[in-house]
Amino acid sequence: MIGIEPPVLETERLTLRGPEAGDAAAMSDFLGSERARWHGGPFAPGQAWRVMATQIGHWVIRRYGSFVLVEKASGRAIGLAGPWHPGDWPEPEFAWSLWSVEHEGRGLMAEAMGRIARYAWADLGWRTAVSYIDPRNTRSAALAARLGATPDPIAARPAPQDGAPDCIVWRHPHPRERAA
Amino acid sequence: MSMRFEIPTLETERLILRAPAERDFGPWLDFNASPRTRFVGGHVPRNTVWRGLAAYLGHWALRGYGMWAVDERATGLFCGNIGPWFPEGWPEPEIGWTVMEAAEGRGIAREAAQAARTWAYETLGWTTAISLIDPENTRSIALATRLGAQHERDFEHDEYGVMRIYRHPSPEEAVPGQTAPEDLGK
Repeated sequence: MIGIEPPVLETERLTLRGPEAGDAAAMSDFLGSERARWHGGPFAPGQAWRVMATQIGHWVIRRYGSFVLVEKASGRAIGLAGPWHPGDWPEPEFAWSLWSVEHEGRGLMAEAMGRIARYAWADLGWRTAVSYIDPRNTRSAALAARLGATPDPIAARPAPQDGAPDCIVWRHPHPRERAA
Repeated sequence: MSMRFEIPTLETERLILRAPAERDFGPWLDFNASPRTRFVGGHVPRNTVWRGLAAYLGHWALRGYGMWAVDERATGLFCGNIGPWFPEGWPEPEIGWTVMEAAEGRGIAREAAQAARTWAYETLGWTTAISLIDPENTRSIALATRLGAQHERDFEHDEYGVMRIYRHPSPEEAVPGQTAPEDLGK
C-alpha cells in the first residue's frame, strides 16, 4: 500500500481537504476560464483531470500538497491552495487559486492560507516559503502582502511559461522571524 | 478521499514493473530533451515532466490502475513506462507505453507490454484493449503489431490530433506468453 491520508484542516468558513475525483468538474470550469491565465491556462477540458491526477501524485510523492477549499455554508469546492513543490521548482511554494469571481472579496483565500501556513510551519517544519506570482496578477500580490510576504528580488525563479513575464517571488517569513 | 492505493509489482523474465517514483525524473528529463517526444505530445516545459510523473501516481489513485515504471532486472536500467491507461478524454482504456532509447531493440517493451496486458485482462477483467499511437510512430506501430494488435480506426484527440487505434487480441486470443505469428523466430 502506498499513498497518504491527507489531513483535514478547518477554518471558520472553510473545510480544507485533499483533492478528490469529484472536484474535477469544478476545477475544469476554472482551468478552462480566463482566471487560469496566471496558472499557465486556460486549459483544454481533458487537462483538468490530469491536473487532478498531478495534485494527488504530488501528495503521494511529497507527503503534502494542495487542499481543496470547501465552503462550509454551501458544501461547494471553491478553490485550491497549499504547500506545493514540483520537482523543478527552485524551492517550496505557497500556491493558491480561487476558482470563481463570486468568491472574491470576502477574505476566503486569506483565511485558508492563514491556516495552511500554520500547517506548513508547525506540521511540516518549513522554515520559509515563497509564492511565484505573475506581476500582472495584482489580486494575488495583494493577498501575499496581506499574509506578510514581501518581494524577494534575489530568489531563484521558475522559468516563465509561454511568453509570460518573469514572476515576482514573494517571500513568506517564518513566524519566528516576524516576531523578532 | 483516501489517497491510499496499491501498485502491484510485476516480474517478467528480464524486467520488474514497479510503482513510478521520483527517481524516474532524471531519465525523463533526458527523454524530454530528445527528439523521441515528438510522438507523445512533443517537448514540454521542464516543470511538466515532474507533473506528468505525479499524474502517473494520481492515475493509479483515481482509476485503480496505471503506468508502471519498467526496470531491467540485471542492470537496473530504467526502460520506460508501460501500463493500462485511461485519462479523461481517451476513447477507451488503452495499454500505453513510452520507451527509453536505451531499452530499444531487445524486445523489452514487448515483454513489459505483454505483462501489462495480461494483468489488465486477468486482474482488471478487461475484455478488450487498445493502444493509441501517433500515425508516424513506426516503432510503436511495430510493437503493437508484434503484440498481435491491429489498426482498427483513427481517433482525433482535441489536443494531440489524430491517433491510430490499435486493437489488441482479446483475452481468449492473447494467451499469455504467446507471440504474434510474425514474431516467431525472433
